[in-house]
Amino acid sequence: MTRLKDLLPTLLVATLAAAFGVALLQITGILTAVITSENGLAESGTVQLMLGLVAGVFITIAVYVSAVVTGNTVATVVAGRTRLIALLRLIGSSAGAQRAAIAREGLLVGLAGAVLGALVGSAAAWGIAEIGMAQGSIPRVTYSLVDPLLLVPMVAVALTTWLAAWTGSRRVLAVRPAQALGNATEADFDEVSSRRGRAVAAWILGVLGAGLLVLGVVVGLVRPEGVLIGLLGGILSFTAIVLAAHRVMPPVLRVVGRLFGDRPAARLAAENAVRHPERSSRMTIGLVIGVTLVTTFAVTMETYRHMLLIATDDQPELQDALGPVIDGTVAVFSTLIGFSAVIAAVGLVNTLSISVMQRTRELGLLRALGFDRRQIRVMVLVEAAALTVAATLTGLVLGIAYGWVGAQSILGSVGSGPGIVAPVIPWPIVAIVVGAAALLTLAASVAPMRRAARVSPVVALAVD
Amino acid sequence: MQIHPSDLGLIARVTNLGKRYGTGPGAVAALDDVSLGLRRGEFTAIMGPSGSGKSTLMHIMAGLDSPTSGRVWLGDTDITDLPDGELTVLRRRRIGFVFQSFNLVPTLDVRANVLLPFELDGRRPSKDEQAWIDELLDTLGLAPRVKHRPHELSGGQQQRVAIARALATRPDLVFADEPTGNLDSRTGREVLSLLASASSRTGQSIAMVTHDPVAASHADRILFLADGRIVRDTARSTPEEISSYMLAMEAAA
Repeated sequence: MTRLKDLLPTLLVATLAAAFGVALLQITGILTAVITSENGLAESGTVQLMLGLVAGVFITIAVYVSAVVTGNTVATVVAGRTRLIALLRLIGSSAGAQRAAIAREGLLVGLAGAVLGALVGSAAAWGIAEIGMAQGSIPRVTYSLVDPLLLVPMVAVALTTWLAAWTGSRRVLAVRPAQALGNATEADFDEVSSRRGRAVAAWILGVLGAGLLVLGVVVGLVRPEGVLIGLLGGILSFTAIVLAAHRVMPPVLRVVGRLFGDRPAARLAAENAVRHPERSSRMTIGLVIGVTLVTTFAVTMETYRHMLLIATDDQPELQDALGPVIDGTVAVFSTLIGFSAVIAAVGLVNTLSISVMQRTRELGLLRALGFDRRQIRVMVLVEAAALTVAATLTGLVLGIAYGWVGAQSILGSVGSGPGIVAPVIPWPIVAIVVGAAALLTLAASVAPMRRAARVSPVVALAVD
Repeated sequence: MQIHPSDLGLIARVTNLGKRYGTGPGAVAALDDVSLGLRRGEFTAIMGPSGSGKSTLMHIMAGLDSPTSGRVWLGDTDITDLPDGELTVLRRRRIGFVFQSFNLVPTLDVRANVLLPFELDGRRPSKDEQAWIDELLDTLGLAPRVKHRPHELSGGQQQRVAIARALATRPDLVFADEPTGNLDSRTGREVLSLLASASSRTGQSIAMVTHDPVAASHADRILFLADGRIVRDTARSTPEEISSYMLAMEAAA
C-alpha cells in the first residue's frame, strides 16, 4: 500500500545520518593513525578516547535529530492516508497489522539507509583523507576504512528508523473503519491525549537545569570549574525545552506569523504553520537543536577569544597565533553540529511538501473563492518562512543565552577577580545561520509552491 | 445594435455550449450544444442523473472550466476566453459558491470565513456591506458563533456559514452544488428555504445543481439535463411532479 515516493524522504534522512556517523568514525580513525605515527602509542590512547567521545556525541545528536524527523514524516504520511487505512480496516485488516506493516517498512528503509550511508560516508572519508594527504596538511599514513566500530552508527540508524516509524504510526490505532464512509471534513488529528508525564518531566528538568545554570554562573565567579555545573544545567534545561516543544514552539510561531502582516495570504499562512501544533513543533525542533548548539559554541568561543585578546594585549605574536586556532575550532565544530541541522532541514522540506499536498482541496477552495496563483504561492512561501524564522530565532536566542552562561562560568573568575563577562556575538556565524535559514525557506517552498499554484479550483467542488 | 444578456433580463447565458473530453473515437461529449439563460433574481435548479453534464455546465458557467465550443456570459461579460487572472477576480467579486462538503477554511473562524472574499480583494467591507453581513449572520442564526472554528460547528451550521460567505459580496450569481447532499433532511430543508428566501427577498440570482426532487422543488425554475442536453425547462414544480418526470426519463432511456 505504500508508494516508494512516501519512503524516499525517510531513506534520505537515514542515509545522511549513517553517512555522517560512518565518515566521522573513519576520520577519527585516520587522525588517530596520524597521531600514533607522530607521537607514538602512549599518547594516542588518550587522544583516541577523546576523539571517540567527541565523535560519539555528534553522532548521537545526528541520529536523535534524524529519528525525530523520521517520526514526524511517518506521522504526516499516516495522517494523509487516514481514509485508505480506514478502508482497509473496514474490509477487515486489523490496526495492529497496519501499524506493523509501517514499522516493517521503517526497518527496511533504515537498513537500506545504513548500508547506503556507509558507502557514501566511506567515500567521503576516503576523499577527505586523500585530499588532506595530497595537500600535505596531514602526513601520509596507512589507514583502513574498515572497522567493526562502524557497525554501531549503522545499527543505530536502522534501529532508530524502525522505532521512529513505529512511534510515528501511533495514529493508525486511532483510525476508525467508519471514517472510510464519512465525508471529507478535515479531522482534527492532533494527539490531544494528556501528556502529563512529559509535562512533569519537562518542568522538573527545566527547573533543575535553570538552577544549575545559575549555580554554574555563581561558582564560575570564583572557580572556572563552574562551567561543568553549567554544562549539566544546559543539558538538562535544553532537554526540557525539547520535551516541551509542543508548548514552546506554537507561541513562537504565532508571534513570528504576525510579523508577516495582515494580508489574507500571510494570515492564512501563519495559521497553517500552527494548525497542527504537534507536527510543526517536531518540524522545527530539529532545526532549533542545530542552531542552538552552533550558536552556543560560537558565542562561548567568541567571548573567550575576546577575553584572550584583552589579556594578551601586550603580546601581539601570541594573539596572531591564537586567532587561527580558535577560528579552526569554531569552523570544525560548527560543521559537525551543522550536519544535524541539515538533517532537520531535509525533514522540514519533506513535511512541508507533504502537508501542502494534503491540502489540495482547501487550495482548490481558495482558488474558487478568488485567490490568484500568486497569492497561493505567497501563502506557501510565508508558511515555510514562519517555520524557519521561528526555529532560527529560538535557536539564536537560546544559543546566545547558553553561550553567555558558558563563557561567564569559564571566564568569570579569570583576570582581575570576579566579574561579569559581556557575551560577544559572533556575527559571521549568525550571518551564516540566517543565510542558511533563508536558503532553506526557499528550498522548502519551491516544489510545494509550484504544485499548490497548479491546483485547479474544480477540485474544491469534487466530492471524493 | 448588439443585444446584451442583461437587456433580456439574464444574469448568465451560454450559447451552443459544447464540452468534449478526449479526442478521436474515444471522445466523450459532456455537453452537447447547450443554450440557456438564467434570469436575474431567479432561483434556478439544474437537475439530471449522474453523468448528465450538470456539474460540467456549472463549472463552465462559474469560470472554473472552459468549454470546447460555444460562448459563456456572466452579466454582460463574455467570460469564454478570459485569462486565469481575470477569472479569479471575477469569481472573487461576482460569483458565490456553496459546496456539498461545506468547504470552509478550517483555520479561520466563522466571521473570517465570511469576510474572506473581501479580504482577497484587499479591502474591508463598507459600512453598508458590514450591515448586510451582520444581518446575514443574524438571519442565518450564526451571530452567537462568529468566533467559532468550522470543526466546532454542526454540518448544518457549517453550510449556513458557507451560504453567508456566498451571499456576503452580493454577487451576480451564487452557484450551489448539491448543497444539501451532506445534511439530514430537516437541516437540508432549512438550508433550502434560506436559499429560496435570499432569492425572493433580496433578488439574489442562484443556480443550484442537484438530483434531489425535494431540493429542486424550492426553485423558481427547473432545468433537466440528460446526456449533455437540456431536455426540459419548467417553472416551479412539486417534488411529486419532478420525481415522476425523472422516473419517466429513466424508463425512456
